[in-house]
Amino acid sequence: MSADTKIAELLTELHQLIKHTQEERSRSEHNLLNIHKTHERMQTENKTSPYYRNKLRGLYTTAKADAEAECGILRRALDKIAEIKSLLEERRIAAKMAGVYSDSDPPRKTMRRGVLMTLLQQSAMTLPLWIGKPGESPPPLCGATPASGDYVAKQGDKVAARVKAVDGDEQWILAEVVSYSHAANKYEVDDIDEEGKERHTLSRRRIIPLPQWKANPETDPEALFSKDQLVLALYPQTTCFYRALIHAPPHRPQDDYSVLFEDTSYADGYSPPLNVAQRYVVACKENKKK
Amino acid sequence: MSDPAAQGLQPRLLQGQSAAGSTGSGAAVATGSGSANSDPARPGLSQQQRASQKKAQVRAFPRAKKLEKLGVFSACKASDTCKCNGWKNPNPPTAPRVDLQQHAASLSEPCRSCGHALADHVSHLENVSEDEINRLLGMVVDVENLFMSVHKEENTDTKQVYFYLFKLLRKCILQMSQPVVEGSLGNPPFEKPNIEQGVLNFVQYKFSHLAPKERQTMFELSKMFLLCLNYWKLETPTQYRQRTQKDDGTAYKVDYTRWLCYCHVPQSNDSLPRYETTHVFGRSLLKSIFTVTRRQLLEKFRVEKDKLLPEKRTLILTHFPKFLSMLEEEIYGENSPIWEADFTVPAADGAQLGHQMVISPAPVSGSSALSKALSAGSSLSLDASGSEPIPGEKRKLPEALTLEDAKRIRVMGDIPMELVNEVMMTITDPAAMLGPETNLLTPNAARDETARLEERRGIIEFHVIGNSLSQKSNKKILMWLVGLQNVFSHQLPRMPKEYITRLVFDPKHKTLALIKDGRVIGGICFRMFPTQGFTEIVFCAVTSNEQVKGYGTHLMNHLKEYHIKHNILYFLTYADEYAIGYFKKQGFSKDIKVPKSRYLGYIKDYEGATLMECELNPRIPYTELSHIIKRQKEIIKKLIERKQSQIRKVYPGLTCFKEGVRQIPVESIPGIRETGWKPSGKEKVKEVKDPDVLYNMLKNLLAQIKTHPDAWPFMEPVKKSEAPDYYEIIRFPIDLKTMTERLKNRYYVTKKLFIADLQRIITNCREYNPPDSEYCKSANTLEKFFYFKLKDGGLIEK
Repeated sequence: MSADTKIAELLTELHQLIKHTQEERSRSEHNLLNIHKTHERMQTENKTSPYYRNKLRGLYTTAKADAEAECGILRRALDKIAEIKSLLEERRIAAKMAGVYSDSDPPRKTMRRGVLMTLLQQSAMTLPLWIGKPGESPPPLCGATPASGDYVAKQGDKVAARVKAVDGDEQWILAEVVSYSHAANKYEVDDIDEEGKERHTLSRRRIIPLPQWKANPETDPEALFSKDQLVLALYPQTTCFYRALIHAPPHRPQDDYSVLFEDTSYADGYSPPLNVAQRYVVACKENKKK
Repeated sequence: MSDPAAQGLQPRLLQGQSAAGSTGSGAAVATGSGSANSDPARPGLSQQQRASQKKAQVRAFPRAKKLEKLGVFSACKASDTCKCNGWKNPNPPTAPRVDLQQHAASLSEPCRSCGHALADHVSHLENVSEDEINRLLGMVVDVENLFMSVHKEENTDTKQVYFYLFKLLRKCILQMSQPVVEGSLGNPPFEKPNIEQGVLNFVQYKFSHLAPKERQTMFELSKMFLLCLNYWKLETPTQYRQRTQKDDGTAYKVDYTRWLCYCHVPQSNDSLPRYETTHVFGRSLLKSIFTVTRRQLLEKFRVEKDKLLPEKRTLILTHFPKFLSMLEEEIYGENSPIWEADFTVPAADGAQLGHQMVISPAPVSGSSALSKALSAGSSLSLDASGSEPIPGEKRKLPEALTLEDAKRIRVMGDIPMELVNEVMMTITDPAAMLGPETNLLTPNAARDETARLEERRGIIEFHVIGNSLSQKSNKKILMWLVGLQNVFSHQLPRMPKEYITRLVFDPKHKTLALIKDGRVIGGICFRMFPTQGFTEIVFCAVTSNEQVKGYGTHLMNHLKEYHIKHNILYFLTYADEYAIGYFKKQGFSKDIKVPKSRYLGYIKDYEGATLMECELNPRIPYTELSHIIKRQKEIIKKLIERKQSQIRKVYPGLTCFKEGVRQIPVESIPGIRETGWKPSGKEKVKEVKDPDVLYNMLKNLLAQIKTHPDAWPFMEPVKKSEAPDYYEIIRFPIDLKTMTERLKNRYYVTKKLFIADLQRIITNCREYNPPDSEYCKSANTLEKFFYFKLKDGGLIEK
């Protein structure tokens, strides 16, 4: 219940922040109009007098401060959203640990695959976009930026995990971290596909954490995989990662990568271009082919 | 035409026709008859009207004038050698129209060709009655008109027929006989059932489940269609050959000639017996002309939409195209039942009506049987015709289809309609639902829910397509077939690509294609065997990156509905090990009901694969089924909630199932009777099959009997000490304790055995004891009690 009240509080705060944003915008409107008018006047007079220069400098300083204030509020709003999401995630993990279904609907033995796929798509869609401060470079786990060598994925984080299948073949699956043993340097992960219902204990090198932010192609294109780069991508409508080449990186924040999967059933060895969300594209460690 | 509906339509149609004539836009629409080119000098009158005017005029002539007119067509009888077969006026009038009226040629006037007098030509008419003279004069007018037609007609086929009819009528005037078309044309009717019967069957077949009002609408449309056909001018055999690209138009030419002689020419030429096109022709003619006629009809209505009566405009513009599309399927469909001589609407009409009503909450969801029926043609059309109404309009008509109509077939003691309506209001009221959450998929959402929504939004489309050798397939269809071949060969790597190609492009195979963004993303290739009454599912696949979205289920449901429309109710398929799961989910089973002889040698046999079958139920709207069931569940949940709030009593749940009991009688559930539940009539008479269920029922019943206050004399076997001669008189003693033991020993494998023992307790008692004894009184009461209980428990009929 406390989580619920906390979320309700956060939502109220978020609501107020959004209102604030609008106030802030209306306030700076006046100054922006002034800048515009000053420019017009300067144009008609066709000269840049020191008066205007000073005036403009003042106006622009105010405008910059206004914009920064608005930006600050927006960031605070984003933080609130992140906080709410992490609370929800905590609750989900707790429920999972307790073996209780958060849903009020009658429990199903396993989730229907189609539903699972929809959830995965939704999770990719709602992955937050990294909004850096000017000059700040994207952090690890933003887009294609890898995690640092000593990074340890948290409980509940989604990862690509290399597991041995029943037939002995190795494959990369989508999994969720259960725990990490610092002593053994091993992860315990759950197959996301509950039909498997298998818990795997895997060494660090068999785990690739998934991005936690989307990289914005408009501001941080360097944090995206580039064309023809070899990656591991989640094959659409499955829970497995396969080797693929980037066909085209996203153009806008909400866009997906277009990738070509390695597929021997096609004459040129690659599938036609398929869309995969940023959330499910990670760097491919192994360079040698199987 | 004794039908009031059709009569109501007639004036409107004629109005439309004359309007077409005056604007000159009527193009191919025939209003009168004779030649295709109506006389430009007299645009106001149809040829039919002109002919009858002329006849009236001629018949009003004085006798002498009439004889002169007939003389022209009468053989000279002056001598046996004279071969002259018509008197020719030696002084041809210069201004005929005025002149003829004025004075008749004298009987002595000599013929210009043979020189004999007019009297010699008309001698045979001397004693002929005025009526007969008038009849002959009518033929004369018709002959003159035909003569004009022969000259004006440009099409050789038509010209020939006019000329033949011209000669025929001339001969009849000469011989004073009745004209009879002879030759190889045969006599009407040429085919049975005729078009009218077929179309009426169609209305019955497709719309009989509708409410009376909608049925009437469909009936009107059919009448209108038939009326149009009767006055329609058919395309000439030449046009037909050009259009259909068939070298052989022989059959059509015969039909066309028949039509000219029996239907078309007689419209304005009443000397010839006239038949209605829709009465004498059947499916074969309709097959030849339907496509072009439909196009012309719709075009005509479109052009003249402003002239239609406003209340009919919607009917015609919105529903007529659909009506025609549906009819088209029945005309060209391989085994449409409407053309069968003994077509009857399925007897279970009422039951069907009830069923439809129950499963589709029509007024709420807006997806009534009718709109479904009307939209079915668009979602699954072979040629994706462009004449569909805009989707929003589909919902207009069904609104009238309220649940009120379903009332009369409701079950006694059922939940009152008002309550159901009220409940449905709450579940469909968006305000009462829980916010935007409903937009997301709940874990319980039906497998095909997303696919259904996507189809409704136009994101995905379903089309039945196939290759054809006789007709040039359009490019889009061919592209889709290639797409299908690609999807199948990628998804079914074990099938040789060449084999897939061969079957997908085989004209006998069809494929239900799933299209997204103009590209094929899945499909089911199938082959129909109408004569064998089943369809073989050949390939079935959805491209890998579009899987697990419910498309496979929705595809199969569309295929099922397509087959119900084509009256094939069995699917057979050889499923490989990966496909068995899918087919099971789609209602297939390994239990094959189709006799082996029907499919052996027809279906492609695959080694190592499992034969599976699916039987279709024509009363199920498969693509909507999961939605309907969801709705029903919601309604029932709401009803239960209401009932619970009324009763306000909570019983502990049943525990017997945990203890291994498989089934218990419904009436033994605590509190169930308070809810107003009564055992349903149907279950009462049916024999309980499950021995455990029977056992429990009997055990329950026996316990109740034993606790009855009048059961005491029968609790235990009669003691010899108390009734020494009892066992001499009663040959088959029985008592409740013995019955309990027999029950425990599972002796009562049928209810009959149990009832027999109970009855024996009573008869034994009556046999041994005097009727007014205490024992017999108890027996009487107990007998009444247990028969009541037996009825109540559904073990015997009420």
